[in-house]
Amino acid sequence: MELFIQQLVSGISIGAIYSLLAVGYALVYSVYNFTNWAFDGFMAFGAFMGFTAITSLFMPFWLAALFSIILTVILSVGTEKLAYSPLRVRKAPRLFMMISAMGVNLATVNIINLIYGGVFRKFPVENLQPIFIEGVSIGRMDLMAGGISFGVLALLWVFLYRTKWGLGIRASSIDILTASLMGINNSGVAIVVFAITGVLSSVAGVFYGIKYAVFPMMGIVTIKAMIASIVGGLGSLPAAILGSMILGILETLVSGYISSTYRDLFSFMFLIVILLFFPNGLMGKSSDEKL
Amino acid sequence: MGYINTIIILGGINIIAALGVAILTGYTGLFTIGHAGFMALGGYMSAIFVKEFGVPFPIGILLGGTFAGLCSFIIGYPAFRSQLRGDYFAVATLGFSEATRLLLNNTRSMGESINAAESGIGMVFKPIGPLLVKLGGVFGYMSLPSPTNVFVVVVAVILALFFAHMFVTSQYGKNCIAISQDEVAAQMMGVNLLKTKMIALFVSAFYAGVAGGLMAFYFAYLTPSFFTITKSSDLLAAVVFGGIQSLIGPVITGFILVVFPELLRTFAEWRLIIYGFLFVIVMIFRPQGLLGYVEMNFEFARAWWNKIFRRKQNSQEG
Repeated sequence: MELFIQQLVSGISIGAIYSLLAVGYALVYSVYNFTNWAFDGFMAFGAFMGFTAITSLFMPFWLAALFSIILTVILSVGTEKLAYSPLRVRKAPRLFMMISAMGVNLATVNIINLIYGGVFRKFPVENLQPIFIEGVSIGRMDLMAGGISFGVLALLWVFLYRTKWGLGIRASSIDILTASLMGINNSGVAIVVFAITGVLSSVAGVFYGIKYAVFPMMGIVTIKAMIASIVGGLGSLPAAILGSMILGILETLVSGYISSTYRDLFSFMFLIVILLFFPNGLMGKSSDEKL
Repeated sequence: MGYINTIIILGGINIIAALGVAILTGYTGLFTIGHAGFMALGGYMSAIFVKEFGVPFPIGILLGGTFAGLCSFIIGYPAFRSQLRGDYFAVATLGFSEATRLLLNNTRSMGESINAAESGIGMVFKPIGPLLVKLGGVFGYMSLPSPTNVFVVVVAVILALFFAHMFVTSQYGKNCIAISQDEVAAQMMGVNLLKTKMIALFVSAFYAGVAGGLMAFYFAYLTPSFFTITKSSDLLAAVVFGGIQSLIGPVITGFILVVFPELLRTFAEWRLIIYGFLFVIVMIFRPQGLLGYVEMNFEFARAWWNKIFRRKQNSQEG
């Protein structure tokens, strides 16, 4: 029973990281109708910036996290301006946007690989003692990762549903052209959306790095976020979070009780089974309903 | 001479795999970043057929390709039936290729545990236990025959190009192009989306499988590390640079993208960075690629012939 509860807590914290990633994808997808493949590059970039800030610049953890967030936001908005915006202005097909994003991703990941090398590094945070509650040990980092991820998601919810800018983003997600006719600043919305993406990917990268390791290909984990958002049901943020939690818990249970080698195989088989029996995902909303 | 042979063989294999991606991404508009997985399946399967069952080499390769094509239905049917958006289909292909690689990495330990099993689910798989050990997991499937040579590869490339040309100019190919232009309109015109996409995926995976088989019989061994996501990115790069809805473009770039890294070994680690920036630059300045929308035909030859011929006629008249 203790093992089960430990796995559950660990699964929830992994699920929280997946939901940050899944929400980041869903946000860009709902407004601009393409998948931001560069997202996993951003995630690795965020983790490595946090890593560098602590090891080379000797910053404390919180300052390093802030440093990483700021740089990742700059990278994300810069990518928008240089790689996506020119295509969008020309009304290029979605395939072209995807390829462009793929290019940004390839370049980012391989530049990181060139500079830091492909080795796995431990994220330099001191080993916090786990908390014991009635014989169950719970990692403080798990709690922190889960808590902060949910905090970020709650802030995002407040931003989207309780501010004027959020209203602008939601309007753009329904119809970007009409929204701009109604006086919404399109390029402003783009900057805000990609800045949010940068924050999400950086936070997810740092926590994923703490939980596992920091390495250039770490962004491959974003495929799990995609699987999670398909499992939950495409086109809505709550469904993406639900799918992420289910996937995170399932994965930790599989690696705890069956085999950690085949963990990724299980998540992929889970996707196929879900697609066969619930073609619209678990929450099964119609894809017109966004955000 | 040996060096040039190597480049031609590797280039030819890359061309065949790139043709597969061209049919799926270029013509049908389905984005794939997991074709290395199909190459791996085809390669291992044809190696097993030839080495363990003594099937003749060409038939082994075709069987490997067919196996890869059949495996593609595992992702194709659920993904297309649920009308998964293009982006998420790409995720499914990536997941499939990573799952394949994970399984292949662990064949040895799986086989050993099956051999050791006394009861339970291990007994069901008992007959394939020794075979799984032979596949060797991370260490690779060793000492295969190596009948792939320049002649075989050149013939294979010509056949592949011919059949790809036949496919894209057939009714199926036209259906594929219609889907890539506008799915809803294509469906209104009576194109069966599920069937057409499945056929395109099958053909595409078949090509990748054949390329994998040729590769296995050239290197004479196979390891899962041949078929990483880098390989898939290379194939996608060939199609993006070569051009959407073109066969001859990906053929040319598929070859160039093998030759250049071979010549510029010292810049090997810069290769993917340069590809990445080129993806963005190509999409912004020449999104149709090198030869986008150029059908492979011999019109240009006829035009030259007419020019020369007419000039002669003119001079005779004059």
